[in-house]
Amino acid sequence: MSLEQQQREIETPQHRHARHQGMEAGEVLDTVEKAFAGNPENMRYFYDLFRDVYCNGIKPHPGKEMIGTMCVQIPDEIIHAADGVPVRMCNGFYTDEEIGGEFMPAKSCSLVKASLGMLKSETNPYSDGIKVIVNPTTCDQKKKVAGMMREMGYNVYDMELPPVKESEEGREYWRRSVRKFTQEVGKLTGQKVSRKGLKQTIKKVGIAQQAYHRLNNLRKQTPAPILGKDIFMVTNAYFFDDLERWTAATEALCEEIEARVAAGHNAAGRRSPRIVFTGSPPVFPNLKLPLMIEQADGVIVADETCSSNRLLNDMVSVDEWFMYDMVDAVADRYLKSCTCPIFTMNDDRIRRLIELYRSFNADGIVYQAFAGCSVYEMEQRSVAKAMEKEGIPMLYIETDYSPSHSGQLLTRIEAFMESLKARGRLK
Amino acid sequence: MDYFAGIDIGSTAVKIVVIDEDRQVIGNKTAATGALVYKNAQTAFLNLLGEIGLERKHICYLTTTGYGRKLFPDADETISEITANAVGAREVGKPFGTIRTIINIGGQDSKGISLDENGNVTNFAMNDRCAAGTGRFLDMAARNLEIEVSDLGPFHFNAQGTPAAVNATCAVFAESEIIGLLGNGHEREEIVQGIHFSIAKRTIRLVKRVGIEELIYFDGAPALNTGLVAALEDELGRRLVIPPLPQITTAYGAAIIGLESHRFEKQEREEVGEAVVVSSGHGCQGCSCG
Repeated sequence: MSLEQQQREIETPQHRHARHQGMEAGEVLDTVEKAFAGNPENMRYFYDLFRDVYCNGIKPHPGKEMIGTMCVQIPDEIIHAADGVPVRMCNGFYTDEEIGGEFMPAKSCSLVKASLGMLKSETNPYSDGIKVIVNPTTCDQKKKVAGMMREMGYNVYDMELPPVKESEEGREYWRRSVRKFTQEVGKLTGQKVSRKGLKQTIKKVGIAQQAYHRLNNLRKQTPAPILGKDIFMVTNAYFFDDLERWTAATEALCEEIEARVAAGHNAAGRRSPRIVFTGSPPVFPNLKLPLMIEQADGVIVADETCSSNRLLNDMVSVDEWFMYDMVDAVADRYLKSCTCPIFTMNDDRIRRLIELYRSFNADGIVYQAFAGCSVYEMEQRSVAKAMEKEGIPMLYIETDYSPSHSGQLLTRIEAFMESLKARGRLK
Repeated sequence: MDYFAGIDIGSTAVKIVVIDEDRQVIGNKTAATGALVYKNAQTAFLNLLGEIGLERKHICYLTTTGYGRKLFPDADETISEITANAVGAREVGKPFGTIRTIINIGGQDSKGISLDENGNVTNFAMNDRCAAGTGRFLDMAARNLEIEVSDLGPFHFNAQGTPAAVNATCAVFAESEIIGLLGNGHEREEIVQGIHFSIAKRTIRLVKRVGIEELIYFDGAPALNTGLVAALEDELGRRLVIPPLPQITTAYGAAIIGLESHRFEKQEREEVGEAVVVSSGHGCQGCSCG
């Protein structure tokens, strides 16, 4: 044994992983905060929240039992009504993707690999309080990863989702799933979902959604009063933050941004192309593409992703405040408005993209697909065709969590921004 | 006279073009990028200036492009190689007509770019994190076959049998594929032709994503390979426009963008009626524009 080898202390993979994870989060937070001038004051709450949870090891809900959700399709209203704390476990860490990747085929989705990897890692911020993981039967990879989580000893609840959303059969199927979940979740938390409780939480979540709408609507303004990277931080915080605290912080931010709009403040550049972001969801710290877009002088003014707009845009609409009406209304809100490509037909997504492009006065669309997310990869063709027909410029980018090909990605993004600026000159 | 320089720092080679205010190429140079990117690019740039009897201060505006564009702190502007390539091809292609599609094969990537009637980029596609079907791939194949890269064209046209079936989905796997084909008694000429057709098919599949409209312009150093040009033309069933110096279109485009930016800035300054203030350390110290 050489002297160097003897003197060197071995760093275990677990320890190295924890260190790398803190570095990964820290680097992204530094970029989010320091690479851009004039961040809104009220973003401080969100920046600090992420730093606390992912760099300083502060648990988001100390001492509380949490309900992990693996998808935007799991109704928060019902979990809150059963006195549960929902935390979205879709994960964005490259360090976790590397761990999860060991157990999955090479060509599989970064998000699924990272979510599995998080459960295997010791730095998981939810590790000591997950009562159950609610997993939807959406894409194949999420369906199959549930089995692996069970093998790891987690209590996994399969929430059945139909592959067709237009049909009456699909609607009824999903309603039955949500009704069953409403009963089962009460057994898990020990607090039955009551009529009064559900009415209250539908309203509470609705208030949070209104705060989001208020913020999101401000992005229609020209010049853009807030950067998209900050919006992703706000919506990503909703994954795990306390509902009321999040709502208050978002409302404070709204007030500041409204004042900015009144003052004609421009958060972006003088000629920054306005972008609608769609496709595979940016989840902290994988804000790689949004940050690249905004560092290349673009500004994301709207998005169509399940980690942001789809998470908070659509609200539950109740006719009668009776138990069954409320539960079915919750079910409908989650199924009807979902524009995930797992459904057989997804024309809604194209309609929504065109609508976002127009109402947010955008110049182009950036479509992200995680390599291995076959549904987003496949749907790219029909979306690209529809956008071409509408004369909407779209950049399609296939990527994953790895930082290795950022040079190539940046070239594409800069070229896209340059071509949008050239179009703007011609207009 | 004002002069403008475009430096295209690619993965394999640095290409430099100096133009005058009439967009005429005064000099050009190609050098290896290497690992010390800035140092090598800077040395090649200064050497070129020496060869054409200019000094650094004569260059009014310096634009860098290519993957190493941000590694050259001396630049007045950086631009993506896609925009620079389009601008260069529009200009170089003028004698042939209106260029609507660019096929570019570089050292480590391949691209398809579609242009509108005015030469603006409307769409583009790039290969993904993989060197198959690029210049690097041709280099590797030539090395395995123990021939010079410049022999690839002649070998292509001397093939007697049918071209060997080369999958070429990966530059690393292709190496063992080529060894296998040699082991099965294939002539090197057949293998070369097979490689060219395989790259041509792969490239066309990529370019089809943006749509293929005439005129089609093919550039990047692999456009010097007449065998590859033939394979692309045969696969497309159409004629390609090959510029006289296919390596430097992008650097030339960058120089033109610099010229246009310089004029625009000058015009803006004149409009506000200010005295010419030189803010960047390198702009307009000795040129006649001030």
